[in-house]
Order: sequence, then C-alpha cells, then structure tokens
Amino acid sequence: MKNRMRKVILTLVFCITAFWQLSSVSAASVPGLGQLIHQKNSLYHRIFVYKSGSVVSLKFDKRSAVQMQSQVNLSNLPEQKLEYTKLTFCGLLYKAQPQKMLVLGLGGGVIPREMHYYFPALDIDVAEIDPEIPPIAKQFFGFRDDDKLRVHISDGRVFIKQQLRRDPVTKYDIIILDAFNGEYIPFHLMTKEFLEELKGVLAEDGVVIANVFYDNRLFDAELKTFLTVFGRCQVFLGANSGNAMLAAPGPTAPMLTFKEAVDRASVLQRQHGFAFDMPTVARRLRPDILPDQRVKVLTDDRAPVNWLRTQKKRKLP
Amino acid sequence: MDYQSSNKTKWANGRKLRAVEIILIACICGWFVMELEILGIRVLAPYFGSAVYVVMGSVIGVFLLSLSAGYMLGGWLSRKANSQRTLGINLMAAGAWLCAMPFFTEPVCDGMFNVGFDEKWGSLLAAVVLFGVPTLLLGTVSPTAVRWLTTQANDSGLNAGLVLAFSTVASFAGCVVTAFYLVLLSVRRTIYVSGIALLLLGVMILLQTFIQNRQDKSRKAGEVEEANNEKQDA
Repeated sequence: MKNRMRKVILTLVFCITAFWQLSSVSAASVPGLGQLIHQKNSLYHRIFVYKSGSVVSLKFDKRSAVQMQSQVNLSNLPEQKLEYTKLTFCGLLYKAQPQKMLVLGLGGGVIPREMHYYFPALDIDVAEIDPEIPPIAKQFFGFRDDDKLRVHISDGRVFIKQQLRRDPVTKYDIIILDAFNGEYIPFHLMTKEFLEELKGVLAEDGVVIANVFYDNRLFDAELKTFLTVFGRCQVFLGANSGNAMLAAPGPTAPMLTFKEAVDRASVLQRQHGFAFDMPTVARRLRPDILPDQRVKVLTDDRAPVNWLRTQKKRKLP
Repeated sequence: MDYQSSNKTKWANGRKLRAVEIILIACICGWFVMELEILGIRVLAPYFGSAVYVVMGSVIGVFLLSLSAGYMLGGWLSRKANSQRTLGINLMAAGAWLCAMPFFTEPVCDGMFNVGFDEKWGSLLAAVVLFGVPTLLLGTVSPTAVRWLTTQANDSGLNAGLVLAFSTVASFAGCVVTAFYLVLLSVRRTIYVSGIALLLLGVMILLQTFIQNRQDKSRKAGEVEEANNEKQDA
C-alpha cells in the first residue's frame, strides 16, 4: 500500500515537473520570431504575438509549421515583411483608382492599413469574425481605424448578405479575400454560391483578389470555382512563399498580359512611390495557369475544403 | 396496472418485435439524430456564417428542445395499444421530411434574413423549422423502446439504461463519422439517403405490424373454433 502511494506521488511529481518544464520552454523565445509577448484564446483562434527587436509577428498556432498571419516592423511600418500582403496590391493593376474596397479577414491589419496609407481617400470596409483580433491589431501591429477604414465584427458571408440587402447596394472596386489563412478553412467563403453573392457587391470594372496556397488541390478547386462564377481568373504566384493570388476581374475590367501588367505596375510605382517594388509583384503574373480538371467546383452542398487542402500536389504550377 | 395485464399476454402494448430488433431501431435513430445535427450546422453555415457560438448553439439547442418534446410524446404514445404502428408512421414521416428538406432549406434561411432576423434569431428559427419536426419524431423512439422491452416494473430501469446506452453509443458513431467523413460528401445527397433509410425502416416496422396482426387474428380465430369444437364434442 505504502509502495503504491509512493509510486503515485512520484508519477504526479514527475508529470507536474514535466508540464512545468514544457510550458516554460514554450514561453521562451522562438527562433526567428523572438519573445512571446501576448497570448489570448478567442472563440476562433489561439492568438500568439511574438516580438523580436522592432518586428512583431502574429500567429494563430504555436507549431512552427503553421503560417504566420502578419509580421510588422514597428520602426518601419510601410515595409511589408510578408510577401502575400504585397501580392494583394495586384488588384490595383486592374483598377488603378479604387474608390471603395472590401477586405475579409483582418489579422494584423497590414493590408487595409497599407492601402489606407497609399490611398487616403479610399473607403475601406473590413469584415473580421473574431472580436479579439482588432484590439490586438491596434495594440501591437500599429493598426488604426477611422472613418475611412472601418472594421466590422461579422462573418464575411453574413456581412455580404447584409450589404446585398441594402438599397442601393454598395459596389466595391477591389475585394480582397484573406479569411482563410489559418489551419482551418471556412468552406462557406469559397463556394460558388458565395462568389455569386460576392459578384453582387463587385463594381462592373472591379476585381476580386483571393489569397490562396498553391501547393495543394484546394488551389485547383478554388481556381475552377472562380472560373465558373467570373468566367475569367488570373493567378499571381508568390516567389518565396506558398501564397498565390487569384484575380477575378468584373465584366468590364481588363484581362492583363504579362507586359501590360508590368507597364501598369511601373506607372503605379511612379505615382504612389510604394515602399516595395510594384513591378516585381506584376511579374508574378502567370496568365496561363488552368485548374486540374479532375477537381470539382466547390458548392454549398459539397465543399471538402479541409480535405482538399491536405492533398498536396506533386507538380506545382 | 399495465404491467400485470401485459404480463398475461407476455408482450407489452402492441409490441411484436424481438428485443434485439427494438434496440437496433433505437440505435439507428440515435445515429440519425446526431448525423442530422452535424449536417444541420453544415447546412446553416452558408446562410448564417460560421460564428461558432451562433450556428452551433442554435442547432444544438433546437435539437435538445425537439428531443425533449419527442421523449414526452413518445412516452405518451407508448401507452397506446397500437404503438408499433404509430412508431412506424413516425419514422416514415421523419424520413419523408428529410427527403423534402433540401427543397425548402434555401427559402427558409433566406426568408429569416428577409423578415429581418439577425444571425442569432434567424439561425435559431431556421433550425426549428428545418430540424424541429424530424428530431421530435426521432425522439419518440427511445421511450417507446423502453416500454416495449419492459414486462416487469422491476426491469424498467434496466431497460431504460439499455436503450439509452446503446442509442447513445450509436449517436456517438453518427456524430464522429459525419463530422470526419460524411461532411466531405454532398450534404444534400447524404440527407436524401438518410431520409430514404428512415422511410424504409418505417415501412419495415409497419409491414411487420401488419403481418403479426393478421397472424394473431387467424390464431385467435383458430382458438375460438377449437373451443367451439370442444364444446360441441362435449
């Protein structure tokens, strides 16, 4: 009996020590990201904020394999650390003078903040589902909202349904879909039905930009769904990230050749003096990418997005 | 009380099924309740968003409420002499509802928004309209099954435990299999197939009732005839 008690106590002590050891390790610095300075569990995410020098990073998961959501250099805000936020500027190649913009998904707020910085007159609406995210974007990532840059706490699809019920319906010149970054992908923001609703709030000469990952079969399914709904879709492939932008122009917006894209980018670069190189973004255009025909269009009825995402592609585009 | 009177006829009210069959029916219904619940969340998300607490809370809440109403109704129906026929009809009705559901999902959900409900009330009411009736009907199974298995008051608790345990394990299976695998398929088709399965189960129970009733009648008629013959012989 005594022996048994001792065993139990020893095991308990071991477990507690191991747990304490592990938790203290994870609280320490992470190579490349620096110190964990803030942690919050929300309904949707485990939010982690890391700081290394003046660089702050946002992650929704501790595992190193999981993609960073945002990274900001607080001593040089216009420097965009992650490639994908620069790639989202490709929308300007289709619509150089946007009046209204919609961004689904806030994260660290880099995309709307930078758009607001370069286009102070641009009206920006952001829909973010997680109410814990905007305070963190403001506190750690230099994000500010104002009467030209409004954050709405709402599911992206519900937000668009509400916009469609307004009279008159607000038409956006550029719509950026950036709500599917984490490990879990909301299927209802990728389906044919959703894109059709999105079409209802898109200006005739506007463009939809979707941030996706191109190393899996979900990429093909999304591209195919975009082609089905919009009829046309171009792809900007990231150079050193797994990100790609799908760009679906509205009915009267242009399709770009590689040369047109680069020329337009040079003009934009001269006009706005971006801190990054816009022609480099334009050079990521791959006009000839077509989806694998074996994948099916994503619908509200059938959208196995989280499974497709795990199906890696052997041949990258 | 009922127990004694049913003891004489050996079987409980209107019961013509074996114990294994009764528990199997409870299991099948347990499976479909949870399958439907998970698919319900999946069906409503495109209309009311995937805000965790809103759509999930609505669907789970509505299922619990409908089940409790179903338990009440099932308990009441189990006292009727023809409870087996009623159960067959209930399952057929639930199956038919599921087969029809894909046709009115969109008008109901869009209607909730058009009337002016927000995501919370909209998803709650849509869940009531879409899933209330079939869940209520599936909820009538457990109490009826308990009644059918019980021939002595002393066994009632054991039988209730048996039915609840088996049907809940089946619910667990339905829940996990749906959430992990069936959601990858077409939701519409999964609901159709489930509806047809329930319809068939209801038809089978009704057929069984019908056949047993005829056999009972002819047996009774035979017994009466025999008695008459004996009288005449005497």
